[in-house]
Amino acid sequence: MVYTLLLPGLIWLLLFAYLPMGGLSLAFKEYKANLGIWGSPWVGFENFKYVFRDPAFLDALWRTLYINIIKLVIQFPFPILLALMLNELRMKRGKKVFQTVLTFPHFLSWIIVSGVVINVLAYDGLVNSTLTLLGLPTINFLGSESTFVPMLLLTDIWKSTGWGAIIYLAAISGIDQDQFESAQIDGASRMQQVFRITLPNIMPTITVMFILSVGGLMSSGFDQIFNLANAATKNVSEVLDVYIYRITFQSSTDFSFSTAVSLFRSLVNMILLLAADRVAKMLGGDGLFR
Amino acid sequence: MSKKTARRSAFRREKMTALDYILFVILLGIALLILIPFWNVIMISFSTPKEYADNPFMLFPKNPTLASYKALFMDGSILMGYWNTFKLLIVGLPLSLFLTSSMAYGLSRSKFPGKRIIFFLVLFTMIFNGGIVPLYLIMKSLHLTGTLWSVIFAGSFSAFNMILMMNYFYSLPESLMESARLDGAGEWRIMFSVVLPLAAPIMATITLFYGVAYWNSWYDAMIFLRKAEQLPLQNVLRTIIVESTTNASNASSVSAVGKQAFSTGMKMAAVFVTMVPIMCFFPLLQKHFAKGVLTGAIKT
Repeated sequence: MVYTLLLPGLIWLLLFAYLPMGGLSLAFKEYKANLGIWGSPWVGFENFKYVFRDPAFLDALWRTLYINIIKLVIQFPFPILLALMLNELRMKRGKKVFQTVLTFPHFLSWIIVSGVVINVLAYDGLVNSTLTLLGLPTINFLGSESTFVPMLLLTDIWKSTGWGAIIYLAAISGIDQDQFESAQIDGASRMQQVFRITLPNIMPTITVMFILSVGGLMSSGFDQIFNLANAATKNVSEVLDVYIYRITFQSSTDFSFSTAVSLFRSLVNMILLLAADRVAKMLGGDGLFR
Repeated sequence: MSKKTARRSAFRREKMTALDYILFVILLGIALLILIPFWNVIMISFSTPKEYADNPFMLFPKNPTLASYKALFMDGSILMGYWNTFKLLIVGLPLSLFLTSSMAYGLSRSKFPGKRIIFFLVLFTMIFNGGIVPLYLIMKSLHLTGTLWSVIFAGSFSAFNMILMMNYFYSLPESLMESARLDGAGEWRIMFSVVLPLAAPIMATITLFYGVAYWNSWYDAMIFLRKAEQLPLQNVLRTIIVESTTNASNASSVSAVGKQAFSTGMKMAAVFVTMVPIMCFFPLLQKHFAKGVLTGAIKT
């Protein structure tokens, strides 16, 4: 029986995926610890009234969008640029070594990376020491509100660009080589080939990746922000997921309220993802699902 | 020597132009930007606090010392973290592989009633989830919070990995399983003795995926576990680095030495010690993860 094969997986899905989804009903209840999720009394949309009146929630919501849109606009071209550069390098071994080095940070947790980052960006760390040596003013990367978002950008670019380039490199390697050969015969320079052949050919991949990033606008890079924020930056670092964590596990524990926020976040996330998927497919890409 | 000449001839064959040299220099610069911070971390962990304070650009410590490592291991929390992460992997990996491969094989079988619905149930978890609050309450009501099981269960199944594996099983010839079925073997028997022996490549890939996920996981442990001695390695590292750097505006890499429980050298040693297994497995990881991204991320 094929169903017995599915049973272990289904039990897992039920317990740790679908029961929690059912637990989202808490958003419409008033949580009473002694009654649990399922026994607590219904209160309709009561919780949501408070959610949308909470200035901290609204702040977190806008901050999430703000940070992610900035990341999307500034960070997005980097992997493409890197892929083009790696592809143009006519040195097989060098290419491989560079790719290896550049993808390495992707495999480390943000905790490890923040350890590295805090060390290098500290006021007497490597970067600021270099700035001093060059006679430039030092920058308080980690402890000031104005540098927080640029610092997030910088560190995320550092960590993820190399990995992000892989998908574009794969797209480039799929381009029909005849196009380059005939361009060479016609005397096209390498720059011309990059802009007239390589880029147009990977445009579909670029479009899909861009749309998928739009679909992720609400998932806010919690790991990075949570591990790089500190007391000095707490006013500019509370994105939606950090806010949910704080109201759930640090300040007063009103589980109904935080579940309402959670539900809102998950719903918007899903809608964004599905919309992104639809648009990607409309433009002829593969989308998220086949 | 022979290596060098080989490289030189490779240069000549591919005809380096000015553009190639410029590209090479730019890429070398980028690679150094990635490497130098790691190098800095590692060298600080092997040097005395004074030496680094005197010269932040130190490339090699003049008097390399293991003092930071000694102090770190004397403190013991890192070893405790290693042990907990080890338990996580030893129990979590087989469980993950069991859950994932049985479901993937089941769903790769030819049409049966309910197949589409079950596949949809798996897929749906990729775009929607209950979030941390209900999961926490359910873990609590199952009496799993405060035990490593909560962390194991929370991470033991991934829809993405399941789909990757399912696609691999689809590519196996149906006739193999059919003949085993004619010999009277049940589905489980077929899975273990026919399918899985043929699935070594995908099993390796998925093992690495889960392995890295378990190794790097910390959020579930932060939520579900209470006692410090239960925490996995990443959480211990977080305690050492992030939480002891209470205020980064006056956080420094050197001057605070002695004021905090963990010196900078110890912190950097902790970073290095947590990073080492990833570094060791890296060539393997890179290969398998790239494969996973290319077959999965866009096309599943």
